[in-house]
Amino acid sequence: MTWHVPEDDLRAYARGELAPPALWSTDTHLTACAHCRGVLAGAADPVALDAGWERLDAELDAPRPGPLEALLTRLGVADHTARLLAATPVLRRSWLGAVVAVLLLTVAAAHLTGAGQAPTLFLALAPLLPLAGVALSYGPVLDPTYEMAVVSPTHGFRLLMIRTVAVLAVALGLNGLATLALPGYGLRALAWLLPALALTATGLALTPRLGPVAAPSVTGGAWVAVLLAADAARPAADGPLAPFTAAGQGVAAVVAALGAGLLLIARDRFDLYRGGGSAA
Amino acid sequence: MTPTVSATGLSLRYGSVRALDDVSLGLTPGVTGLLGPNGAGKTTLLRVLATAVPADRGAFTVLGHDPGSARGRQEVRRRLGYLPQTPGFHPDFTAFEFVDYVAILKELTDRAARHREVRRVLDEVDLSDVRGRRIKKLSGGMRQRVALAAALVGDPGFLVLDEPTVGLDPEQRIRFRELIAGAGEGRTVLLSTHQTEDVAMLCHRVLVMACGRIRFDGTPAELTERAAGRVWSSTGRDPGAKAGWRTGTGSFRNVGDPPPGADLLEPTLEDGYLLTLDGAGHTEVAA
Repeated sequence: MTWHVPEDDLRAYARGELAPPALWSTDTHLTACAHCRGVLAGAADPVALDAGWERLDAELDAPRPGPLEALLTRLGVADHTARLLAATPVLRRSWLGAVVAVLLLTVAAAHLTGAGQAPTLFLALAPLLPLAGVALSYGPVLDPTYEMAVVSPTHGFRLLMIRTVAVLAVALGLNGLATLALPGYGLRALAWLLPALALTATGLALTPRLGPVAAPSVTGGAWVAVLLAADAARPAADGPLAPFTAAGQGVAAVVAALGAGLLLIARDRFDLYRGGGSAA
Repeated sequence: MTPTVSATGLSLRYGSVRALDDVSLGLTPGVTGLLGPNGAGKTTLLRVLATAVPADRGAFTVLGHDPGSARGRQEVRRRLGYLPQTPGFHPDFTAFEFVDYVAILKELTDRAARHREVRRVLDEVDLSDVRGRRIKKLSGGMRQRVALAAALVGDPGFLVLDEPTVGLDPEQRIRFRELIAGAGEGRTVLLSTHQTEDVAMLCHRVLVMACGRIRFDGTPAELTERAAGRVWSSTGRDPGAKAGWRTGTGSFRNVGDPPPGADLLEPTLEDGYLLTLDGAGHTEVAA
């Protein structure tokens, strides 16, 4: 062995207070290192030591977490929350790949149109990506364990928020990276952010009333309709669309705040099954 | 015996369809079977009792807790194990990871205690050897056992099983029956099924549903007794029978009101079930 577990960590391990990922590392190391097992034996009282061996026995049985879970745990996310996130359907390579592909295309289109004009296609599509991601992260459409999750004591709104924060972080992060690829536009390229928050909050707030499919569809459709109307009313062909002006950004911020408020009011309605019914 | 689960006047409509119509029941520890044709309202009743769907009218309690309030609903869910009709899985999870995921949903956040519980329930359904295998690589019977293990996490006092033996081969079904019988010791189990053999072999009590209503509530022996003197054999299909079919021996087995002098047969639970459904508009028997 070229290294040994620090004594403080071994003492914390014996007390059952060592947290992942140091806990996992110590588990693995102890199976192969007689020296550290000896130190552990000296550092712990017999009862705590027996509990430690029992825990080690259980850990050896448990599967290693996947790359996403391991990453989240290293970032400080509790291991049980990391597993809830690992079960989020849209945090999979296929969805992430689709988002990256859409962003690459829109960024390429913005470069082709030239820096003189607003990156309209990018600004129009970028807010829809987090809306779609959040809509597909919890509910009967894509979550195969939705029915089991609904009848669990974990409140549906809590699960929704855990996944929403994760999906939003990923989607907004990817959008942000795409924005960095458009340096010629300056802050104008960030005009997707407030509409993205407004659409996501509105889509979630409408879900208890319209259902998990219709709510984001209606919200996305309304966004497209607003853009078409703004395009028709645009005074100059190379000017920005109304939602991407300062006034439009203000409206988006108000809509985001209202949507978040309505969502909070309707939170208990996420605690019941929304998969539609039949008399089966 | 005082019921552990009791419901009065449960009603629920889906549009113009009356899925539950004034359903009242009281369940006691042991396995209670729920029989009924497709569309009878079995799954709706299970979803209501599992607190997934609220009833339009009526009330119920589970182990002394009323799910009418958010607090009561959570208390019920803490004591509930639910195996839905088509349990979904995250296919990339192993059996252990999936049950671990459900254990987290059931508020077992301490990693060591949770893993002990996951090992316990996987051992209970005899899946310890394949706990590290991905669910997409497991057989249908094994997946059902994984779902049952997930339902058993936390040692729930009320277990709701929606047609768990559908799609299983005879050997898997027998194995599953053993597991359900074990699960029914000391806890209240409500088992929805199309298999009258499941009820005959497992249940101390049986409910028959049709058109959203409870048509029968009694023991399997009492349901069978309903067909006493109403099952007979004939060389051709008796036109007066409510149901009749050719058996393997070539003679016809008829259920209904026998003609005088008919060759009466020993009734089965299925005969009693068919006669109970008669008039409910759902008897589907090929002659």
